Amino acid sequence: MTSVVGAARALEMGEAERRGLQAARIRGAVIALLGVAGLWAARGAFNVAATFSFWLLEQGGAAWSITTTVGMLWLVAGSVAIVVGGLQAGVGARFPWRQSLFVLAPLYVAAILGALLDGKVANMTGVFAGSLELAVPITLGALAGILSERSGMLNIAIEGKFLVGACAGAIAASITDSAVAGVLVAVLCGMAVGYMLAWLGIRHQVDQIIAGVVINIGAIGITNFVFLRVLAKNTWLNTPPTIEKIKIPVLSGIPVVGPLLFSGTPYLYFTLAVVVFLSYMLFRTRWGLRLRASGEKPSAAATVGIDVIRIRYGAMLLAGALAGLAGSYLSLSSAGSFQMGMSAGRGFIALAAVIFGAWNPLGAFGAALMFGFSDAIQSLMSILGVDVPPQLLNSVPYIVTIVVVAGLVGRVRGPAAAGQPYTQG
Amino acid sequence: MTIWRRTILPALMPLLAVFTAFVVGSAFLFITDIENLKHFPGDPLGTILAGLANIGKAYSAMVIGAFGVPAKVAAAMSSSDPKVIAGAIRPITETLVASSPLIFTGLAVAISFRTGVFNIGVEGQFILGAMGATVAVLVFRDVPKPLLLILAMVIGTLSGALWGFIPGFLKARTGAHEVITTIMLNYVAAQLVLFGLRSEFLKPVGSTLPISKVLSTIVRVPLIFALPAIRLHYGFVMALVMAVLVSWFIFRSTKGFELRAAGFNLMAARYAGINAGGSIMLAMALSGGLAGLGGTLEVLGTVGQMSNDLSSGFGFNAIALALLAGNRPGGVVAAALLFGALRTGGGLMQVKTGIPLDLLFFVQALVIMFVAAPALIRSIYRMKVQNADGVAAQ
Repeated sequence: MTSVVGAARALEMGEAERRGLQAARIRGAVIALLGVAGLWAARGAFNVAATFSFWLLEQGGAAWSITTTVGMLWLVAGSVAIVVGGLQAGVGARFPWRQSLFVLAPLYVAAILGALLDGKVANMTGVFAGSLELAVPITLGALAGILSERSGMLNIAIEGKFLVGACAGAIAASITDSAVAGVLVAVLCGMAVGYMLAWLGIRHQVDQIIAGVVINIGAIGITNFVFLRVLAKNTWLNTPPTIEKIKIPVLSGIPVVGPLLFSGTPYLYFTLAVVVFLSYMLFRTRWGLRLRASGEKPSAAATVGIDVIRIRYGAMLLAGALAGLAGSYLSLSSAGSFQMGMSAGRGFIALAAVIFGAWNPLGAFGAALMFGFSDAIQSLMSILGVDVPPQLLNSVPYIVTIVVVAGLVGRVRGPAAAGQPYTQG
Repeated sequence: MTIWRRTILPALMPLLAVFTAFVVGSAFLFITDIENLKHFPGDPLGTILAGLANIGKAYSAMVIGAFGVPAKVAAAMSSSDPKVIAGAIRPITETLVASSPLIFTGLAVAISFRTGVFNIGVEGQFILGAMGATVAVLVFRDVPKPLLLILAMVIGTLSGALWGFIPGFLKARTGAHEVITTIMLNYVAAQLVLFGLRSEFLKPVGSTLPISKVLSTIVRVPLIFALPAIRLHYGFVMALVMAVLVSWFIFRSTKGFELRAAGFNLMAARYAGINAGGSIMLAMALSGGLAGLGGTLEVLGTVGQMSNDLSSGFGFNAIALALLAGNRPGGVVAAALLFGALRTGGGLMQVKTGIPLDLLFFVQALVIMFVAAPALIRSIYRMKVQNADGVAAQ
């Protein structure tokens, strides 16, 4: 009897392995085809120069640049793809193809960028610095999403918190004539909204998706209303002092890295710090373990004495604070005043970054950088007068997210209990 | 007693929710009335009275904007001048015009909620339906008109259905959460429309705005009344017909029963032999199709030209609307009429008193909140829970 079961299992495993191999071969063939396409694109592109320049210390100062040809870029990218594709098809399922994408993707991005620029010089320090700045609100929003979802609360209200934070921050800063006060008020308002979301979802057991929709619609309504009815006529309420960039002494003098990482706004430094801090807190502390337990299996967490409700309220308050802070960044740092609908979907891109980053702070930061990069490339293109339909680049974050959620390229799994109401037994 | 139980009680909660939301909205109107509040230190009582008077003015403008001036309607009764008649009935027909797309999107949301999937993507399905219809009209512009209209409606419906089917398929096959995918698809749809409206084929010659060529000169949904400035077209009738069809489908057909069963308890439905994945895909495609048809009728009936802001939040309002309606088609029609009246009336309120229309979005959010959390309303009005099934929401 056991031998029959054993044989059946062996057959089954053989089946799974065979499928894995087949999938690997298909994947390998697709990657290799991409490589051939790259080589094909290389023909005749060797006479087009591709120059990427990097400012060393400041915009417009001394620069260091790499000059090659578009053909060369395609040649390198194509050859690497063919090698990777061959290895994938040959080695089979064990080949670390996901990791190899991290090498392939930048090569292809560089080649495509070179082809689009068509001989024009691209200032990459500007692009990278722009990506970082654009990544700040998305990262903060994504961290808010991670905190809530890891604790078991689905949070689609990040967009609403952005708007409320931006509006309240601008008004408070204008009245008190202090940007810091504006930031504080934005954080507090974000926390209030976060608390409301938690209160609806936990105390009243309102479906968390509906609660999120309510808050988004309400936030759009109330901020538009306040803007049109109050701020439009009383402009003194919407001329806040802004938060300026601060150069960190010594460190900002490092070539390339200095102007990138150490000459930004305090928001940038804070965001980088929070990414590291939250990674540590979530995965290395007792608090983090309890938070994650509440999001994975609240009933099990409760049996070992964790106060799930309390953990969730706490996480939602913290998430609200981060999202409110991101909102204040929009009105107090990047724009300098509150405008209607100024979050422009960034809250949902943050949601995308949560998923793309697999509910992990570092991953979310990486995703936010990628989305920021596609934004920065777009503004570079429009500055250089390259005609690329912006809609295509704009759709990238959304399409990528769908692909990731659907598990077409590397499935990610969110916290098991996110979105499910929990009643203390 | 049974009438009380079966009709008045279920309607009582939504009505109280709407009423309470308006009271809270009024409070916001009062505290943002800066001009008036400036007098508060000197004359508190007068300020409060003036503030209340302003709120009264705003709401009466809203009612007149949505339903018309009674005196004018009375005069029109005995008049045969089409201009007089049109002037009298214009507000109410505009309310119906505004509620037509809301009925479609509300039904779309309701059908997905009934199946237990959250279609947040109705907004995208709506505009892509309109876009599909626009392309169809321009491609087949030489086809005889009645045929062209039907063709455009079919293609518009299919475009919306496709955009709804994608997240349904992904949910059924890979488990991708439909809330995430539909939110993302909303943005992709918006970008697609912007991208499409750049093409020489769709945009008016020499235009840089995201609008299409004028479609109403090629084909348009026939008007119900041949009166000047009355825009009410047969799209509204179609909306009502759809509500009846959807109601029949959900509550009387086998497929509809399966959808509801899947929405009620997916595992149990599966155990009973219902194809749960198929139900989800079907519900999402139907939902998207309804939204797409709504978009088609909006672009070919009311507006007559595609633009990127064709939908002023019809898809998002629909979520509030479906919840308010308890996901019942009849309720959707009633709620859509209410929201349509708010939109049209809010327009006049904005013109007359300068109070931004956006107040209504805030009020809507409050309405959903109160409907979704009935305990809130109960505690405000000190209502007692009667018995287990007495006041239960849904």
